[in-house]
Amino acid sequence: MRIDGEWALFDDGVIRPIVFGEISAADGSWVKCPFLVDTGADRTVLTAAALGQLGLRPITSDDGISGLGGRAESVVVETQIRLSRENSSKVVFRGQYAAVTEVASLDTCVLGRDVTGLFAVMVDQARSVVCMLSQRHHYTIQVD
Amino acid sequence: MADSLNPIVMEEVTDLEEMAQARAQDERFERNFRWFQEHATEIFTRYRGKCIYIAGEELFVGDTPEEVIAQAKAAHPEDNGGFVHCIPKDKVAHIYAHRRRMGAV
Repeated sequence: MRIDGEWALFDDGVIRPIVFGEISAADGSWVKCPFLVDTGADRTVLTAAALGQLGLRPITSDDGISGLGGRAESVVVETQIRLSRENSSKVVFRGQYAAVTEVASLDTCVLGRDVTGLFAVMVDQARSVVCMLSQRHHYTIQVD
Repeated sequence: MADSLNPIVMEEVTDLEEMAQARAQDERFERNFRWFQEHATEIFTRYRGKCIYIAGEELFVGDTPEEVIAQAKAAHPEDNGGFVHCIPKDKVAHIYAHRRRMGAV
């Protein structure tokens, strides 16, 4: 399985790796969402804007999300994240995800290791590669 | 560890109808995202601290996600490939982590 992403421009002028996906909303629709591929993030986190759009009822308050900016208030929602495969089919990741509750806490949904840990993740800015590999897809390191 | 406490179940979508709808939505989203990236520098500069929504390759700006979503849905009810984004008020580096529990030793 190969899930491709790309490098995209953020508000601070920095190019960061993203994959495009959808999140399942309370009304059964799918809400499109770019996800930052953050190989250092322990878990996937949804933005407050996405949370509001999804209309999902939190199943619990969370232990909190912390970073250099301090602790952010968050909740846990049960939903599905859907990503596109190399063959244009889709793969769904069903589970419980954290979501921050304040808009200023997070500007882009983050794909963390609860999902990326299922893959070998390549984020190669020099070659403009953002790629998640599993199953029959794998990578090889070569020396010229 | 968070990984073992919160297992994620991965499943492949096999429903042909669902995949067809997803591809159509992907195409709409791709058009909107390309438009956004082409105008990103101007948008980020002009609307710092605002929420934006791109639908129908058109920009909607407001103070809250709810406001821009309502604007966009009213203008382009057919476009399910739009997306919301709230631009940070300040340019800051973001680093994210889950708060870890530590056990006694």
